[in-house]
Amino acid sequence: MDDHVVSVLSNIGVISFVALSAYLLLLTGEISFGQQAFFGIGAYAAAIATAMWGWPLAAGLMLGALAGASSALLVGLPTLRLHGLYFAVATLAFAEMIRILLELFHYQVAVDGELVGPNGTDGFGGIRYVFQNKIGAFEYMLLIYTLLATALAGLWLLERSRLGVAFRMIGGDETLAKTSGIAITRHRMIAAALAGALAGIGGGLYAHLTTYIEPRIFDIMLGVHALAYGLIGGLGTALGPLLGVLIDIGLLGSTRLFSGYRMIVFGGLVAVLLIFRPRGLLNEEMVHRIGSFWRRVWPTDPSQKSHGKT
Amino acid sequence: MKKTAMLSAAAFIGINLVFPAAAAQNIRAKADVVCEPTKENLTYDCKIKLVDARTNAPLTGVTLTVGADMPSMPGVHNLRSVIAQAQGDPGNYRAILELEMTGVWALRLDITGATRDRVVKVLRFGDD
Amino acid sequence: MIDFVQTTVDGVMVGCSYGLLAIGFTLIFGVIRRLNLSYGPSIMVGAYLGTFLYVQFGAGPLLVAVAVVAGAAIAGIYVERLCFAPMKGGAGVASMVSSFAIWMQLEQAMILLLPRHTYAFPALATGAPWEFGPFTLRPDQLLMLILAIATGIIVNTIIYRTRFGTGLRLVTSNQIAAHLVGVNVRNVMLGAFALASAVGGFAGFLVLAIDQQVTPMFGMWATIKGLIAMMIGGLGSVPGAIAGGLVLGVIEAHAQGLVGPQARDLTAYLLLFLCLVLRPGGLFGKAPEADGAFSSRST
Repeated sequence: MDDHVVSVLSNIGVISFVALSAYLLLLTGEISFGQQAFFGIGAYAAAIATAMWGWPLAAGLMLGALAGASSALLVGLPTLRLHGLYFAVATLAFAEMIRILLELFHYQVAVDGELVGPNGTDGFGGIRYVFQNKIGAFEYMLLIYTLLATALAGLWLLERSRLGVAFRMIGGDETLAKTSGIAITRHRMIAAALAGALAGIGGGLYAHLTTYIEPRIFDIMLGVHALAYGLIGGLGTALGPLLGVLIDIGLLGSTRLFSGYRMIVFGGLVAVLLIFRPRGLLNEEMVHRIGSFWRRVWPTDPSQKSHGKT
Repeated sequence: MKKTAMLSAAAFIGINLVFPAAAAQNIRAKADVVCEPTKENLTYDCKIKLVDARTNAPLTGVTLTVGADMPSMPGVHNLRSVIAQAQGDPGNYRAILELEMTGVWALRLDITGATRDRVVKVLRFGDD
Repeated sequence: MIDFVQTTVDGVMVGCSYGLLAIGFTLIFGVIRRLNLSYGPSIMVGAYLGTFLYVQFGAGPLLVAVAVVAGAAIAGIYVERLCFAPMKGGAGVASMVSSFAIWMQLEQAMILLLPRHTYAFPALATGAPWEFGPFTLRPDQLLMLILAIATGIIVNTIIYRTRFGTGLRLVTSNQIAAHLVGVNVRNVMLGAFALASAVGGFAGFLVLAIDQQVTPMFGMWATIKGLIAMMIGGLGSVPGAIAGGLVLGVIEAHAQGLVGPQARDLTAYLLLFLCLVLRPGGLFGKAPEADGAFSSRST
C-alpha cells in the first residue's frame, strides 16, 4: 500500500475515535464542544507512559483511556446537570483550560542525550515507541483499525443493550426517560466516562502515530469538527461519524481536490446537506430502511427478535 | 457493558502479543532543518541535516521523505510526502515543499532504509 | 493602588468591545434560540474587506469602518439564509454545525482574499497618550470607549423605540405569539442577524483599530470572546451582555497584570466555567429554562 494512503487511513482511524466520542454524547442528548480535551489528555498520558517511563504500548494506551475516562467523570460531576448550550459552553471552557494548562506543562527527562517530554507550547516530540519497536506504518494502521473495530463492536452491542436504549431515551425525551425509571445522572456519567475513554484511546494512538503532539492540536477546532462529523455522516448508527471523517479527511483533506478552495466547497456542501438532512446522511430513517432491505434480502429466522429500529 | 469490557481486554492482550515491548537498540535520528522561500509562491527549499543523536555521526544510506501537517487541524492539511535528495556532505538532504498556506507547519521527516525513524520539526513559514 | 486603577481602566476599555461583541451575539441568540458559530467569522469578513480597501487603495478609517460594518452585515444575512432560515424548528444542532461549516467557508474565502498572516489595520486616532497625574490614557482607547457607548445607546434605541425593535422583542419572548399578532417572524430574524452582525462588525473595527493589525484568527477570537461575555452576562440580555463584557475585560486585564498572558485566557475560561456551574443563568440572566430549542433533540 502507498505510504500516503496508509498515512491518510491512519489519520482517519484516529480522528474517528474523537468523532465517536462526541457521537456517544449526542445520543444522550448532550452537545459537547470539549471531547478534544480527553483526546489530548489521552495523548499526553499515553505518550508520557511509553516515551518517558518505558511502558509497553498497550499499557500506555490503557493509561490514556483511563485518564480520558477519569477526567471526563471529574468534569462530568459539576457539568452534567447543565443542558444544551450551557453544557456545550461549559465543556468548551473546560477543554480550553486543559489546553492552556498543557501549554504550561513542562516535564522532561533525558533519553539518549535528548530531552523528551511535554515542553509547554513547544510540544512533546520523540514519542518513538512505534519506531523503536520496528512496528511498520501498515502494521500500526492495522492496530488502529483493530481497536476502532473493537470500539464499534462495543458501541453496536451497547446500542442493543438496556444501557443503549436508556441513552437514546434520555436523548429523545429526558422527562419521559425519568418517568420510565431511568436514573438520568448515573447514565449520563456512564456515557461521559465511555466517551472520555474512547477519546483517550484515540489520543494515545494519535500521539504514537505522529510521534509529536502539542497543545494547539487539541483546540476547539478539533472538538467542533468531531461534533460535525457525526452530523454530516448521520446520527442513526455509529458508522455515521466514521463516514463524516472519511468524507472530510479522506476525500477532501488528502486528495487536494479543489485545493485552495476546498473549505469553500465543503462548507457550502455541508450547509446544504444539513438543510435537507438535519440528522446527517445515515440518519435513523436511512438506517431503518437499509436494515429492512437487508432483512428482505437475507431473511433471518422469524423466531429471532428483530432489531434495527432505534 | 461487560461484553464491551471483555472485547477491549481481548484487544489489549492482542496488542501485547503482536507488539511486545522489545528493548530494541536502534539509532535515534536528529535533524536540523532550514527552509527558505523560492521564487514560486508557497514553495520552500528545505535543507536537512540528519545525524545520529547519540554519536552526532551523519546518517547516510537512508531514504528521507518529508511531509507536513498543520498542527492547528490534525489530518486535514496533510501534505503528500516528497523524497529528499542527498546533497553535498554525508547526511545532508534537500527537499522542495509546496505548502497550501503560510503559517506554522509540523514537518514530518520519515527515515527508512538502514534505520527507521520519524522526526517532527515545527517551523513557521511565511513573511512574518 | 495606582497600578490597580490603571489596570481596571484598561480592562474597562477592552471590556467595552467585548460587551459590543456580546450584544450582537445575544441579539441573535434571543431571536433564534440557537448558537451562531459564524458570528465571529462574519465580522472577520467585514474586517478583511476593510483591510483590503486599506491595503490596496489606502482607504481612511471612516471608509474602512463603513466597509467592516457593511461586510459583516452582508455576511450575517448570508449565514442566516443558509444556516438558520431553512431549518425547521428543533434542528438546533444541525443549524449550529451548519454555521460551523460556513465559518470554515468564510475563513478560507478571506484567506484567499488576503493570504498573508498579518495585515496592518488603520489606527482610530494617533497622538501621544494623555497623562493624568500617575495615570495614562491613550486617545484612541478613549475614542473607542465613547464610540462603544454611543453604539450601545443606538442599539438600545433601535430595540426599545422602533417598530422593528418591538417586533424583535416580541419574537424573542414568544415566537408563536409574535406570529399571531402579525409580526413577520422571518423578516425580524433576518433583520436581527443584519443588526447583530453590524454591531459586531463595529466592535471588530474598534478592536482592530486599537491593535492596528488583523490576522485570520480574528473570526475565532470574536466568536469566543463574544460567547464568553454573553454567557457570563446571561443569555439574551442586552444589559447583561455589556456587564459580562466589562467583567471579562477587567478580570482579564488584572490576571494579565498579576500573572502573565497565559493566565489571561485561563482566567477567562475559569470564570466562564465557574459561572456556568454555579450560576448558569449568568450574572444578570434568568435561570436557564428558555433553552429548550437548543439541544440535540430534534425532528
